[in-house]
Amino acid sequence: MLSYLVRRFLLAVLTLFIVTLIVYGLIRFMPGTPLTMAQAAMDPSRKLSAEDVKLLEQAYGLDKPWYVAYFYWMGNVLQGDLGKSFKERRAVTEVIFTRMGPTLLLSGTSLLLTYLISVPIGLFSTVYSGKLIERGVSVVLYFLYSLPSYVAAMLLLYVFYFRLRDTVWQLKPGMVSDGFSLLSLHRQVMDVGWHLILPLFCLTYGSLAYYSRFVKANMEEAIRQDYIRTARAKGVGPVGVIWHHAFRNTLIPFVTLLGLSLPAVLGGAIILEQIFSWPGMGTLFFSSITDRDYPVIMGLTLMYSVLTLAGQLLADVLYAVVDPRVTYS
Amino acid sequence: MSFDLPSSLTKPGESLDADALASPPKLRKSRGYWADVWRRFRRNPTAMIALCYVILLSLVAILAPVIVGTKPIVAKYKGQLYFPFIGYLIPSWEDPLLIKIELRGRYSPQQMKKKDPESWALYPLVFQDPTRRVRKGEWPNQPGNPFGDQGKPSGYNFLGTDDLGYDVFAQLVHGTRLALLVGFVSTSIAAAIGITLGALAGYFGGWVDVVISRLIEVMLCVPTLVLILALLAVVDRATVWHTMVVIGLTSWTSIARLMRAEFLKLKTVEYVAAAKAIGATQTRVMFRHILPNALAPVLVPITFGIATAILIENSLSFLGFGSQRPNASWGTLLSSAQKNLEMWWLVVFPGIAIFTTVLAYNLVGEGLQEATDPRLRESAK
Repeated sequence: MLSYLVRRFLLAVLTLFIVTLIVYGLIRFMPGTPLTMAQAAMDPSRKLSAEDVKLLEQAYGLDKPWYVAYFYWMGNVLQGDLGKSFKERRAVTEVIFTRMGPTLLLSGTSLLLTYLISVPIGLFSTVYSGKLIERGVSVVLYFLYSLPSYVAAMLLLYVFYFRLRDTVWQLKPGMVSDGFSLLSLHRQVMDVGWHLILPLFCLTYGSLAYYSRFVKANMEEAIRQDYIRTARAKGVGPVGVIWHHAFRNTLIPFVTLLGLSLPAVLGGAIILEQIFSWPGMGTLFFSSITDRDYPVIMGLTLMYSVLTLAGQLLADVLYAVVDPRVTYS
Repeated sequence: MSFDLPSSLTKPGESLDADALASPPKLRKSRGYWADVWRRFRRNPTAMIALCYVILLSLVAILAPVIVGTKPIVAKYKGQLYFPFIGYLIPSWEDPLLIKIELRGRYSPQQMKKKDPESWALYPLVFQDPTRRVRKGEWPNQPGNPFGDQGKPSGYNFLGTDDLGYDVFAQLVHGTRLALLVGFVSTSIAAAIGITLGALAGYFGGWVDVVISRLIEVMLCVPTLVLILALLAVVDRATVWHTMVVIGLTSWTSIARLMRAEFLKLKTVEYVAAAKAIGATQTRVMFRHILPNALAPVLVPITFGIATAILIENSLSFLGFGSQRPNASWGTLLSSAQKNLEMWWLVVFPGIAIFTTVLAYNLVGEGLQEATDPRLRESAK
């Protein structure tokens, strides 16, 4: 097990190196630098002088060729320094950290909801497999699965933020209302909760179909096994058979899925966060690319890659933990 | 079961007629694999409806300039025949002299009659244009398109107009071409890369496999949308074709992984050993013996990939990075609703177009999966 982990770790480090090198090269090849992007947005009378630009370029390593600058960046990362954001003039770790909360709130809740709803649906579909009601449920879920979340989000935006505006729905897009800091704690929680509903719905409904089909597919395989017949023959009730005997045996692939969804939980949903003006990682990702905020792009890429690799490793390790038949040696 | 017996053997009761007894039972040529898949696919009504919808969409895409447009299909003008509708498909093929000097690209009947009383033209079914606002007087008794937030669906603009006064119906119909093209081109690129790399990794193993597997992992670790946005930014003035290539370049991993697994499995099969034994070259073994047998499982992710490619293109357009007017994709229309929330028709109709197309491709993929998956096949019988 240990040698397996060491080998996986070394491979992951290699992958990280390649990923960051590619992304670093790519963003340096994008036309425009953070300095020109910032200047274009600036008041023309306050343009930077040529010397100032030189100084800034030196400070951010823009005067060096990209492959040299990359190693400077990597050296800093190895010392725990992700650099400073061009735009916000704060440490990248700090910028990312402030955005992590909203994204975690949105995607974490969504993932939890997905599991809570899709497992019962999956079990229900297994029990009523082939019946009219099951077919109905699966058709509805499949339609939802094919409905792109940004289409649904735009529809909800129209209904709630235009049609119902000033009547039942008095919110503006975003995570909090104006004057949020003046509210009491209870009111603050309520306020965020109300803002959360629509993006949460859009993020969750699509994955419901995927997860419940996943549960059903695994259950279908499980209930055909001999031990289920044995359990039935012993007189175990239908609930007991489904829950204790069949479902518990389908948990193994479920664990894998959990590990693989790790990057999505922290990576955020770029389009949905954009539509609902949710101040999370997705919006940060998007704005950092349009602003050419190199350190932030690199920081986010690094985080995303680490999470992806960690998720894969976690899935494989958990696999061995929950299934004693699997060993890595 | 998956192998086919001649019908005279499977149904002994029916074969006992005079013909069958007189002559020895003729062995019917057993159905090929793809014919078998098609037979199973055809039995699935949902998948068939979806397939019909996809075919209908392709027809709409091809016939778009005939369905809606302001450029005549055929026009006789000053003694010569013209086909101006071609300008919607390939702008440079539209007769330049006629456009620039004589009519300035406007083929309204009045204008043509004014310049040449003898002229005639056959127009598309609906006189609206996806690339500009139709003005008053271009078509007899048809008012100019409303613009701003006034363009509700009406008799002249079935699905309304957008903020610039362009007809939504015309843009949707002409956008079909773009959507299907994106799905087709991107997925072809992705399939070509994925099949080649997957086949190489699975067949040769060793360091080739290590390198390619690492490459796949690297691709999985870079957030797709970031990679796409960065690549598109590198090209500076990105056109639709750039978008298609970039989508193709970033979505081959699932195909490659599946292909690799198939090749790993198939390279140990007897017929491959037999082919090698009679001296077939490695390319021949790979492409003539293994590849045809490995294609069926890859067809499913390819079909789903078409749906995903269309989704990605539309979300890029939605974010403002994809196609721009006048080559509007459905996502561009949808995004123009972001600033004008009251124009519900800019949400609903493009939304329906994206949704139904993605749904259709997904259902076709689903049907293919059921038709090709041997495990599902066994249980179906």
